[in-house]
Amino acid sequence: MAKLIHYQKGGVAQLAENQWQILPVDTQEPLGTGPYLVPFQYWLDHSGSAEIQAKYLAGELGVWFASDADLTAHRDVILAGMKFWAIIAVDFPIFRDGRGFSHAAIFRERLGWQGELRAIGDVLIDQLLQMAKVGFDGFLLRADQNEAVALEQFEIIHHRLQNDWRASRDQLGRGHHV
Amino acid sequence: MYQYNPIDQSIVDDRVKQFRGQVERRLQGTLPEEEFRPLRLQNGLYLQRHAYMLRIAIPYGLFNSQQMRMFAKIADKYDRGYGHFTTRQNIQFNWLKLEETPEILADLASVQMHAIQTSGNCVRNITSDPFAGVAADEIVDPRPICELLRQWSTLHPEFAFLPRKFKIAVSSSKEDRAIVAAHDLGLFLRNNEQGELVADVLVGGGMGRTPIIGTIIQYGLPWQELPNYISAVLRVYNLHGRRDNLYKARIKILLKALGVEEFTRQVNEEYQYWRGGHQAFTQEEWNQVAQYFVKPAYKTLPSLNEEPIVLQAPESERTSFSRWLERNVKKHQIPGYASVLLSLKPHGTVAPGDIDSSQMIKISNLADQYSFGLIRSTHEQNLVLADVEQTRLYELWKEAKSLGLALPNIGLLTDIIACPGGDFCSLANAKSIPIANDIQKRFDDLDYLFDIGDITLNISGCINSCGHHHVGNIGILGVDKDGQEWYQVTLGGEQGLQAAIGKVIGPSFFASDMPDVISDLIQIYIELREPEESFIQTYRRVGVEPFKTRVYANKEKKDKKNTVGEDAHG
Repeated sequence: MAKLIHYQKGGVAQLAENQWQILPVDTQEPLGTGPYLVPFQYWLDHSGSAEIQAKYLAGELGVWFASDADLTAHRDVILAGMKFWAIIAVDFPIFRDGRGFSHAAIFRERLGWQGELRAIGDVLIDQLLQMAKVGFDGFLLRADQNEAVALEQFEIIHHRLQNDWRASRDQLGRGHHV
Repeated sequence: MYQYNPIDQSIVDDRVKQFRGQVERRLQGTLPEEEFRPLRLQNGLYLQRHAYMLRIAIPYGLFNSQQMRMFAKIADKYDRGYGHFTTRQNIQFNWLKLEETPEILADLASVQMHAIQTSGNCVRNITSDPFAGVAADEIVDPRPICELLRQWSTLHPEFAFLPRKFKIAVSSSKEDRAIVAAHDLGLFLRNNEQGELVADVLVGGGMGRTPIIGTIIQYGLPWQELPNYISAVLRVYNLHGRRDNLYKARIKILLKALGVEEFTRQVNEEYQYWRGGHQAFTQEEWNQVAQYFVKPAYKTLPSLNEEPIVLQAPESERTSFSRWLERNVKKHQIPGYASVLLSLKPHGTVAPGDIDSSQMIKISNLADQYSFGLIRSTHEQNLVLADVEQTRLYELWKEAKSLGLALPNIGLLTDIIACPGGDFCSLANAKSIPIANDIQKRFDDLDYLFDIGDITLNISGCINSCGHHHVGNIGILGVDKDGQEWYQVTLGGEQGLQAAIGKVIGPSFFASDMPDVISDLIQIYIELREPEESFIQTYRRVGVEPFKTRVYANKEKKDKKNTVGEDAHG
């Protein structure tokens, strides 16, 4: 059973129940029951289908993006699609592929995504803090990761030196307080 | 120099705690090496040939005597009593145990130091001019910008897993002493016509397998916009740099593949989203940082020319003291002061850039006595006491001499830049240190060294080019052929504003040939030079041919002789 953490902006990190099944790329099978995260390409190919419409009307459709996604090229489609998606996910094919950090930042800053942004794939304890800062608020841990250690990571470094999705840098405005 | 406020201190303390947990999980076996590796690298910890190596950040090469004493303590307590200053102004310790590294980082944090981002595929420790704030040719003091960038880049969440490492250098003087053009991103700071501080931004320089001189893609960027503009560059690189091939992953390869025009277009398109945004540095942040880089309490002193300085020494010592003044003492902005280079390049006895713990402590004392307690490290792996009163130069020379740090070879043939090479580094194809030492021993004649004059000789033990051989007037690169160590020679490299990449002269040599090869190259220069012409100037005028011809003709003669000799024994 995969382990999910929710850490909303301004909230506290906590374990959560995962409702979402992830549809792999290039699947031809019809969707089963319950909420589904489908690949962005699947959305491009099937967004007009009755099956997909039924899912998003029920709030049971999310879209996941691969690390090599080109968010800029698909900007208009994404902005239009975001109205129908309950959740967006970004895949880390391997933990050291850092493109997902930039994708998350673009979803938050530039595309204005307000819903859950979930990290999926090779999601490890030691990258959680960075993920949380760039804009992720859902973290589907790789199955072997320890949840208790994972939950500690979000508070492990108390200050920040650059603005991020959650807060401004702490050095800003220091002059007023000194 | 900059002093940590409670926020800076809290970050390095928390970082130690975080790393301690990671090391514990590694030792327990719950964190596999493959996943631990980038974490330890971003804390400066490498696994080398024999032990763990820790590279400690010296931001823009500036540190104080208390920090140097801590290096001495670390050398004695955790290592084998010495440390190694690197070409990127950092210091490395070579013989560490993994389980002790959190303790070492805690010791460092207690003197406002860390090893954050001295390795890994992230924004590395920022380098700059070792004479920042004192150089006679300085346009503006780069240190406030360096410090603001240090803060901005430290633990940056978006750019910690880039395709490859990302090195930034800053220069703001007439002469570039930070090899800015060989960096992933370089900044030339200046004042524009309105007197506002701006940066010309260079991208895509680098050494390694594909040495490239970078290209300036943005002129006159207001200083406040640096985080926005650099973020735009980094985001384009993070998303589009190659991740499938380690050797093609640096930003220089992306820039080359796209072409300067297209790359710049992409950066500018990205920058439109950042321009004027909230990441911009503020005047208030500038003020917080710049207060630490005001001029120290200089005395009002007369400016001395050489003669009265030389006369400080008794007659018997004047020749050698003058030599030191000529090579190791640099002009200062303030009348009556000078900057002094301590040479970490004794002839043939230690690795270039190495000093032991007792020298560290004594240098700390010298810094306290002569230079406001501050020390700088240089790209050439020497140290600088930047603020020495001219009337005390003789006294300082005597002390430096007794420590073995006063060899007047700065900028001469034996002031060799070298990586740790095959003696330590697990990446190296060949040893660097013995080659450097053999050349130093061969040229252990100061008269001859002074006659040869300005020249740079850089040695790397492999194509990663940590010894910066590409930009040495003479470059030596260790290569592996059929399990044997060979050395390839390049000529014509140069650092500074004339930065150039050296060209290979031909087939490579054995280690034992190297002193002869260097002798041949120097001999040809001596024969062909015109009055006042330096090695690189002669090379540029006459080209590679005469050098090449001499070296390979002599090698052929020697090889024949050796073959005959062996036959005779056989």
